[in-house]
Amino acid sequence: MRPVRLAAAVTTLAVTLALAAACSPGSSGSPAEAEAGRPVSGGSLTWAVETEPITFNPHQYAQAKARLLVWNTFEALLTHDSQGGHLPWLSTGHEVSADGKTYTFELRTDVSFADGTKFDATAVKANIDQFLVEGYNPAVRAVQLRHLDRVEVVDPATVAFHLEQPDVLLLDFLSSPQGAQVSPKSLKEARNLKAGGPELAGTGPFILDGYIAGQEVHFTRNPAYNWAPANAGHTGPAYLDEITYRFLKESSVRVGALTSGQVQVIEGVPATDEPLITANRQLSLQRGLNSGSAYSYYLNTAHAPFDDLRVRQAFREAVDVDAVLTGVYRGSATRAWSVIGPTSPFYDKSLEKTYGGDTAKANRLLDEAGWTARDAEGFRTRDGKRLTVRLVQSAPFVRDRRDVLAQAVQAAVKQSAGIDLNVALVDQGTATKALADGEYEVFDNSRADTDAGAALNLLLHSGGAINRTGLDDPRLDKLLEEGQASSDRAKRVAAYQQVQKLTITDQALILPLYAPADQIASATTVGGLNFEPVAGVPGSAYNVWLSK
Amino acid sequence: MITAIARRVASGAIVLWAAATAAYLALLAAPGDIVDAIVGDGADTPQIRSQIIAEWNLDRPAVVQYLDYLLRAAQGDLGRSYLLQRPVRDVIGEQIPPTLQLAAAAAVFGMVLALILAVTTRHRWVRRVSSTAELIIVSTPPFLIGIVLLSVFSFRLGLFPVSGDRGWAALVLPAVTLGLPIAGVLAQVLRDGLDRALDEPFAVTARARGLTERAVLTRHALRHALMPAVTLLGWLSGVLIGGSVIIEQVFGRPGLGQVTLQAVSNGDMPVVLAVVVLAAAAFVVINTAADLAYLAIDPRLRRS
Repeated sequence: MRPVRLAAAVTTLAVTLALAAACSPGSSGSPAEAEAGRPVSGGSLTWAVETEPITFNPHQYAQAKARLLVWNTFEALLTHDSQGGHLPWLSTGHEVSADGKTYTFELRTDVSFADGTKFDATAVKANIDQFLVEGYNPAVRAVQLRHLDRVEVVDPATVAFHLEQPDVLLLDFLSSPQGAQVSPKSLKEARNLKAGGPELAGTGPFILDGYIAGQEVHFTRNPAYNWAPANAGHTGPAYLDEITYRFLKESSVRVGALTSGQVQVIEGVPATDEPLITANRQLSLQRGLNSGSAYSYYLNTAHAPFDDLRVRQAFREAVDVDAVLTGVYRGSATRAWSVIGPTSPFYDKSLEKTYGGDTAKANRLLDEAGWTARDAEGFRTRDGKRLTVRLVQSAPFVRDRRDVLAQAVQAAVKQSAGIDLNVALVDQGTATKALADGEYEVFDNSRADTDAGAALNLLLHSGGAINRTGLDDPRLDKLLEEGQASSDRAKRVAAYQQVQKLTITDQALILPLYAPADQIASATTVGGLNFEPVAGVPGSAYNVWLSK
Repeated sequence: MITAIARRVASGAIVLWAAATAAYLALLAAPGDIVDAIVGDGADTPQIRSQIIAEWNLDRPAVVQYLDYLLRAAQGDLGRSYLLQRPVRDVIGEQIPPTLQLAAAAAVFGMVLALILAVTTRHRWVRRVSSTAELIIVSTPPFLIGIVLLSVFSFRLGLFPVSGDRGWAALVLPAVTLGLPIAGVLAQVLRDGLDRALDEPFAVTARARGLTERAVLTRHALRHALMPAVTLLGWLSGVLIGGSVIIEQVFGRPGLGQVTLQAVSNGDMPVVLAVVVLAAAAFVVINTAADLAYLAIDPRLRRS
């Protein structure tokens, strides 16, 4: 890589000098809007994306990086507004019964799937019932639809969801890709239903009409489309005639394809490549912070040494997160202070700057906990045993250079407090086995759920499907259940603030590191690029145009 | 003749079976089971696991699953991909043409370039320059070669597109990237063979008959030099398959390499097994071709 980086750096420097007098384009905001002028209809766009979706069936959606493709073809009953609430999309409104157990939706009556099937209450029921088919998507059935009793078709334009117990997260599900509406005809007839693709019809502004595995996916405008949600930016059909997403896994190749004009938009710009974009006046860069849980280290309290609160606190104090992030991401990462991402309405801002980076305190706490001796390599020991904590990372799921970040944390805790952070980058099977056997002390994770509560249920509830902290605290479970049951925003905020206080401040259970973000870089001739409200990932191509 | 063909087909079948079995055992021995692989980093509860086990019939003993797999593979049913939820035959089938295209183009480019280099660089200093360049290419990771070629010929000069399977222009850079190391190795082997052949008594005889040095080289010595190069054809098939993983990633090309990588890292057993069997089949075919090539090149072998 070195010669290329060097060449790139030299070029960057040259370009930067040449532009010294000119104003440099900002790294956030949307200068593209100004240059691309007013929206125009027509044209075809090519967009290079990092990730090829495993499936094009929205019900099987599991990759946040695939979200921008889902919303081109499929739509849900609700969508998110920028305040963390919901807006009607394929519905016109909904009511919650007094006991919180029945959600009744009024549906739009002017919507058709691309295969001609009419969208109505029967279609909604067919979509939900599909999840009850054995083996279709056991994870959604066990998590998002855990409390669902049945779906009732009241009349063609009214559908009711009956729950076994109150669950406000139903709304989040009905605004998520998994809750998107697929034509009942496709559900019945598709040969490869779980893989999706051109044979699955949706109601969205584009029609997926070409997929070449390993290369690209192609969408054509749906001319009949006229039911965009209120915050979509415009009404009627999409601007672009067609859009092609090419799968380019290498970031330097994506950036090169953009700078040489072979594609007009790219997604996923690593910190090291950002200068190549920002130094070029023909290009612009936008960043969006993701929703859900921040990328954090969860500490395993089930056994020593993290069964001791003082050691957990010491581990957190031993890391200067700001310095580590600057070293790895060159200032492009946003530090996280809570397990909940900073864009969530449940985020507790008062946690900021309340802990971390105090080396003296870390050492004092470890002394108190009995880890007083040092071995030949400078690591702390107690009763002849080294203070070792293990982090197991599953290689297929490592992104954002999280393996490099782990090495930086490893160096920091060794230097400042003599803690031995043992990082293993392994295959998925080995990682699962280590987690199942409890052979780890640190678990790393971030989740892109749009409702942070959904992420916390999985990560922190004692019955959570990915709870790796070993903490079984009835108070915590109760708070999480309160947050899920109430449809009153203020009550939910209060419950999740308590959750954050308990896990971050009181128990030092979590070391939050950074808020995951997405980047879009584009030619300035492209307008209307945006990030989805709440989710914070690149939005669909509905509002995107190409100036002529 | 018929016995010879039958023997070859039988040994080919045994190679295929052995490859499939070895791959099966390797995946079985890898830590974690198939359920872990399907769960991935998502939600994981006993109910989810039991549904996955039921869906894929994973509760049967490994031996039964293995025999069932063999039986169905023999009938041409390669099963469904755990990860992609599509028939393996479709997954692999649509990736074979771009892979063959790339492999053939790279192999032809590599062999032709090697021949040209070995024959034309006979003078002392030209030969030293060429030989050094070959060694550098051979020891450079294909990833780096690909990126350098891309940044020069695609990003700077705009001669070739970066991405995808878009006609011949898009095939040039990937084929060159994959073919250069092949040319490097083959050129070294050929040159070495030429050196040895030109020292043989028959070369002296040929020169004594008044043949020009060029005629001695191309008509007599090259035949001898080709033999060790042909032996390398088996190695070539390995390079082409292994190299395509990187090439496809860098150039955003469809092909078997990426499918294989994804299948291995996700424990997608049916796809991995199908690819292994396919690679073994390719290996058998290429080696058979090599055996036939020996006969074509060396008349002495035809007599025995």
